[in-house]
Amino acid sequence: MTFHRTALLSLFLASAALPALAQTRAETLRHVTGASINTLDPNMPGSTREAFGLSLLTYDRLVSFGRKQLDGNWVFDLDTIRGELAERFDVSPDGLKITFHLRKDAKFHDGTPVTAEDVKWSMDRAVTARSLAAGQLLTGSITKADQFRIVDTHTVELTLPQPDKLALPNLATVYPVIFNSRLAKSKATAEDPWAQEWLKANTAGSGAYIIESFKAGETTILRRNEDWKRGPGNSQAHFKRIITQTIPEASTRANLVERGDADIVIDLQAVDAADLERKGKLKVISTPQYNAITFVSFNNQMPPFDKVGVRRAIAAALPYEDMFKAALFERGKRLYGATWADGKAPTGDTFPIVQPLKTNLAEAKRLLTEAGFPDGFSTTFSFNVGQAGTAEPMAALLKESLEKIGIKVDIQKLPDAQMSTLINEKKVPFFTEGIVAWLPSMDYFYRNFYIGPIRWNYSSLNDPKLTELAQAARFEGDKAKYAAYGLQLNTMHYELMPQIPLWQPSQDAVMAPSIEGYTYQFHRQIDFRDLSRK
Amino acid sequence: MKLGATATRAGRRFISSLPALFGVVVFTFLLMRVLPGDPAVFFASGPQAGPEEIAMIRKQMGLDKPVPQQLLLYLGDLSQGNLGRSLTTGQPVLADLRNRLPASLELTLTALLIALLTAVPLGIAAALRPGSAVDHLVRFICALGVCVPTFVSGLLLIYVFYYLLGLAPDPTGRIDIFLSQPPRITGFLLIDFALAGDWEGWSAAARQLVLPALTMALFVVAPLARMTRASMLASLGSDFIRTAKSLGLSSRKIIVTYALRNAILPVLTIAGIVFSTMLGANVLVEKVFSWPGVASYALDALLSSDYAPVQGFVLLMAAIFVFVNLTVDVLYGIADPRVSVE
Repeated sequence: MTFHRTALLSLFLASAALPALAQTRAETLRHVTGASINTLDPNMPGSTREAFGLSLLTYDRLVSFGRKQLDGNWVFDLDTIRGELAERFDVSPDGLKITFHLRKDAKFHDGTPVTAEDVKWSMDRAVTARSLAAGQLLTGSITKADQFRIVDTHTVELTLPQPDKLALPNLATVYPVIFNSRLAKSKATAEDPWAQEWLKANTAGSGAYIIESFKAGETTILRRNEDWKRGPGNSQAHFKRIITQTIPEASTRANLVERGDADIVIDLQAVDAADLERKGKLKVISTPQYNAITFVSFNNQMPPFDKVGVRRAIAAALPYEDMFKAALFERGKRLYGATWADGKAPTGDTFPIVQPLKTNLAEAKRLLTEAGFPDGFSTTFSFNVGQAGTAEPMAALLKESLEKIGIKVDIQKLPDAQMSTLINEKKVPFFTEGIVAWLPSMDYFYRNFYIGPIRWNYSSLNDPKLTELAQAARFEGDKAKYAAYGLQLNTMHYELMPQIPLWQPSQDAVMAPSIEGYTYQFHRQIDFRDLSRK
Repeated sequence: MKLGATATRAGRRFISSLPALFGVVVFTFLLMRVLPGDPAVFFASGPQAGPEEIAMIRKQMGLDKPVPQQLLLYLGDLSQGNLGRSLTTGQPVLADLRNRLPASLELTLTALLIALLTAVPLGIAAALRPGSAVDHLVRFICALGVCVPTFVSGLLLIYVFYYLLGLAPDPTGRIDIFLSQPPRITGFLLIDFALAGDWEGWSAAARQLVLPALTMALFVVAPLARMTRASMLASLGSDFIRTAKSLGLSSRKIIVTYALRNAILPVLTIAGIVFSTMLGANVLVEKVFSWPGVASYALDALLSSDYAPVQGFVLLMAAIFVFVNLTVDVLYGIADPRVSVE
């Protein structure tokens, strides 16, 4: 009897829900992706990129990035920071104090107002708790809880030990999100004072979207937070509902978006994106990832790659253009083929810059002989399974070309976890990998990817002069002096050739023609708050 | 009486399989730790991904302790029904498996049913006229099914029925995302929808199931049909069939009652093995159709050296294997009473 009633009830509910769903299809955005979200708290060690993407929607930060046009595409802008939970912020003339004035109307999803108390608790958590945030924020000179001070209910002050260009941008990344401190504290325990266990599976935010349902590795359904008006110009998010589905097969994702069943996808294979662009039915926005680089890398501590001549010989022997066509179908920005008049870098404001690299086998052979390897040598070239789509054709071309100057290459395809372990232990001599910087300033690249025994220092470079220059550039406030440091660093990079920058792959966002506002974001996910349907 | 004997035999079989299950647990545990690839490094993705962050993850996963101690802790957790937590999904492994197993089972059982309903008649038809055109046709179909890998046939079916013809629903899991799920009772969508009386939902779920089930069935029709044909041939050539024929029994009675019943034993054995293999090896089908099953779950975990889910998956598969073998044993007894005598 009870069963009968439940059955009737659910039948009633199902039939009542259907017309409503049909009506909202235009107000719903359906996004498909190959990866999955593994936590609702972006600070958890091991968080996936998709988890970062979700946190940007469910939580607010104090500030967020503006956007700019780069070669005709909208991209995030490191140099424009606008308030998000902060209505406005003031930087003191000496650059040591940043005061945040919070919005007075901001509320968390449960209706509690956002106060300075919550900001203080969240920032304390970011720098104190054992999480990913501390490692990121220290790149902006934010390391201690006492740097944050509550001025009044709606004002918080941040004190810096020295002026730091990256302090504000760091607060716009995914880690320093503002939690509902009262809710979070009620879920904290003695062993877990920052409620990390609870926040993995629950949210306590004030963001533009509220999680309606979440099935790890399958689907996430988000509902718009009607109170949220913190977009550019106090705007609301456009879509009422966002559905993200994990579809592991890339060609299926392409089919779905082509048939109009999915509205947007950003992780297609280059070949599918090129195909869809040619057919012209969909909008394809192809943005070179200007904060990412793909390298052919050497371990500079391991013979024979400890010899700069060997590294430069290989740099002269790579078949760049063929590799770019075979791996990426030319979807990206080339970082080779420039001409530098006097062998010096033409600019120091940015990294990476286009390198004066060309395929020249005679030159390569000469360099290799000079380095003491007239007959070449044997080595392995590794890449991980996850990158096989682009790395496999690239590796085959590399092998073929290096054979011509006497270097015998054995290609190794390693499972992702094994590859990252070997790289971390500095045991891979010759390989391809990529890097991404959330805050793509010149000194940030050099400091995070060329110094110290960390995993991201792929080339294991240990050059005191480069280290000194990069550290000096970090706190250089004068633009001209900063560029002068950069000029030296970029020139050194070319001369040392610790690794060979190949290209910046494009992020191909393929979407229904009605979708507008797409912006390439620092975390390489879609910020759904940017999007609308015309 | 006969039922009691079968039950005793099944119980004895079950107890004798416990050491094997224990062995599987220990072996997988050790194997995962011997494999190259440190999960802590893989999941350490912060900008500083330095020794501290790696140590933090290692501690979180309990990998900072010596292996024998880890094993004891793991066995202790197992005895309380705790399979650990997955770093890939962030959920407890037991919850993940419980959510995903019905999806895999529903798909595999449907595929096996389709395969048996196709393979047994095909096998019988081939056995009745060995060497004829029918026999060759069956052989051709079987060869085709077995030599096309499942991901090729899966993608092909999607291309034709979804992309070109638009007949099939989009290949994105068990049910159209815009439909609501039935209240979860068994986890099998077809059963849950039927229990809820939601026939629209039922047909939507069934439509999603057709292509992946067909893809899997295509692949296993061959062993089943070939086995049916071979054992039917043996059975049809035996003395009791000749006797039955000479007594003038109807051909239906001869084929179905006498020949098939005697020929079905090896087919059952193969069906049991095929089922277990399908459940574990249908990862490609699950990937192609975005089917939220256990096999694709385990593969993702394996690629990122996420220990707990892989160990949980292997244990689950071993348990299912034991259960399927038991079931096949019991079915033997029903198909051929001589087996129960022992």
